[in-house]
Amino acid sequence: MTGAAGSGRRPSTRPSGWLILQAVLGGSLLALFVLPIAALFAEAPGRLGVAFRDPTVWASMSVTFYASAVCVLVAAALGIPLGYLLARRAFRGRAIVESLVAIPVVVPHLLVGFGLFLLFVPGTPLYRLSTAIGLPVYYSIAGVVLVMVFVSAPYTVLASDLAFRAVDVRTIEAARSLGADAPNAFVTVTLPIAMRGIVAGLLLTWARAVSEIGGILILAAWVYPGGFYAGPVTTTISVFVYNLFQIGDLADAAAVSSLFLLIAFALFVAVRLGERYGRLPWGRGELAP
Amino acid sequence: MIGWSLAGLEAEVDRFRLGPVDLEVEPGRSVAVLGRSGAGKTTLLRAIAGFLPARRGQVRRGSTDVTRWAPERRGLGYVPQGLGLFPNRSVARNVAYPLEIRERTDARSRTRALLERFDLTALAARRPAQLSGGEAQRVALARALAAEPELILWDEPWQGLDVEARQALSLVLHELREEERVPVIVVTHDPALAFSVADRFLILRDGAVRFASDATTLLDRPPDAFAARFVGFENVFDRDALERASGSALAAWLGAVAGPEGVAFSAPTVGPDPGTGRWTGRVRSARPTPRGVVIESFSDGFPIALRMERVAGRSIPGVGSTLRYDLDPRDIHALGGPGEAREAVA
Repeated sequence: MTGAAGSGRRPSTRPSGWLILQAVLGGSLLALFVLPIAALFAEAPGRLGVAFRDPTVWASMSVTFYASAVCVLVAAALGIPLGYLLARRAFRGRAIVESLVAIPVVVPHLLVGFGLFLLFVPGTPLYRLSTAIGLPVYYSIAGVVLVMVFVSAPYTVLASDLAFRAVDVRTIEAARSLGADAPNAFVTVTLPIAMRGIVAGLLLTWARAVSEIGGILILAAWVYPGGFYAGPVTTTISVFVYNLFQIGDLADAAAVSSLFLLIAFALFVAVRLGERYGRLPWGRGELAP
Repeated sequence: MIGWSLAGLEAEVDRFRLGPVDLEVEPGRSVAVLGRSGAGKTTLLRAIAGFLPARRGQVRRGSTDVTRWAPERRGLGYVPQGLGLFPNRSVARNVAYPLEIRERTDARSRTRALLERFDLTALAARRPAQLSGGEAQRVALARALAAEPELILWDEPWQGLDVEARQALSLVLHELREEERVPVIVVTHDPALAFSVADRFLILRDGAVRFASDATTLLDRPPDAFAARFVGFENVFDRDALERASGSALAAWLGAVAGPEGVAFSAPTVGPDPGTGRWTGRVRSARPTPRGVVIESFSDGFPIALRMERVAGRSIPGVGSTLRYDLDPRDIHALGGPGEAREAVA
């Protein structure tokens, strides 16, 4: 290097053809993501106020968020341990388990709903069993949760698997030798380190759950009170919008969609901001010395 | 403090077999575990720490057999390769970890004292990713000491440290030995560290103990080519190398004094003039170093390192020039002979 800083030749700031190509291709995809959403919002304004004041819309919103929250809890309770098992243990039949986890991702969800319908339709042993224990699946919130868990829990399993794999075994061994027994090391070291990845998986799980329609349309197109739901008869929000669309009420369909998107987006941003600014335990700011 | 011993300890991991290993470490003593990559050094530490089940043999703390004890009950400070610091905890909370686990009421004051002792107070709020190599090592050591260990197992303490950080760290290790009398078993590739901190040396090869004795024995009777290179012999030839150069008079001469594992000798000293020695070396390279001019020569089909005293103003030999030197059979070490040391390390 010769001369003082700034006197040498600077690298060219003109974008290369390669960079322009990347920007055009990437930008096209982003446009594809954004335009349909923008079209919804463009269609919505006239009816947004009406949708906001409509109790049937809120009943549908409530059941959707309620069912998806239960779904996330179930996915966490069942999916995180499975992710841990896949990440940390070598066992016979591992490849089979990994393939089974991928099934919900590759099977069309309408077929999943159909399969569940065949299992839980009135007259089947599972229908009788689920009704007998007070948790009817057919046309109920349990059915909605069941479909949601089926289609979305793989994201929890896969994200947990990756997150646990990324925890250096040596940090766990250090914790053990420093006096932590295995469960204690899991709670104080493994889980906190893996938490960010797991939470990302749970967010994906939730997003996938609330957007589900195919399976729900067949197994629980209407949600009747029963099980752990005592509200009015309603539908999930995706079915709600689908019904409006079917009768040609496009403005209301767009308004309800926009309202739902705003709420979902706000929730998503709140979680991310919480992580970023340390209000959530797996975020950055927990570590006062 | 209490002494530790291994009695015929054997372990297995992914079909790699370690042992049997016999070893004693008394309070205030340290053992350096040496060996090529894959020799079983880390496996040995993990077996002592309890992360690998022993197939046979015992790990004893004093007279107590702890072989079947869980790692957390053994009272060890294990510092793994890469240190194993908790990336999501600050320096202070890394150091406090063993105290938190034990729910110690004096956790806060002890942490503060350890941070001070290891010059970490100013870094207390940082995360491990924000530390230099030397700082991270100090955090790992402070954290290990917070657990008040009765034996420290340290895998590659000097990895990635600069010269000054190395010196600071070996001072800390000395202090540990002198003041706290904590026995230390350290795995290292670094001769300088090994000779500065270890009383005893354990050399592993393919999972088996090749050597277990003190520094003098290691220097006088290195058991194999690895050990000879480790202690600093510049010229090390195994049997294969000697036999491959069958036409060479020098190889034949060395072969006559070599042991089953070959020969090792320090670089013979040469004068500035060609001289009159028996052997002739053609200079391939010559580099000035603090310990004189190190010359790589080609002698009778053999690469031989020579050394020349460095005198200000004297030019170093040019590439292609020839130098004559002698070899004294008394300076040649036969490797792997019957004198190979494998006494108990005490």
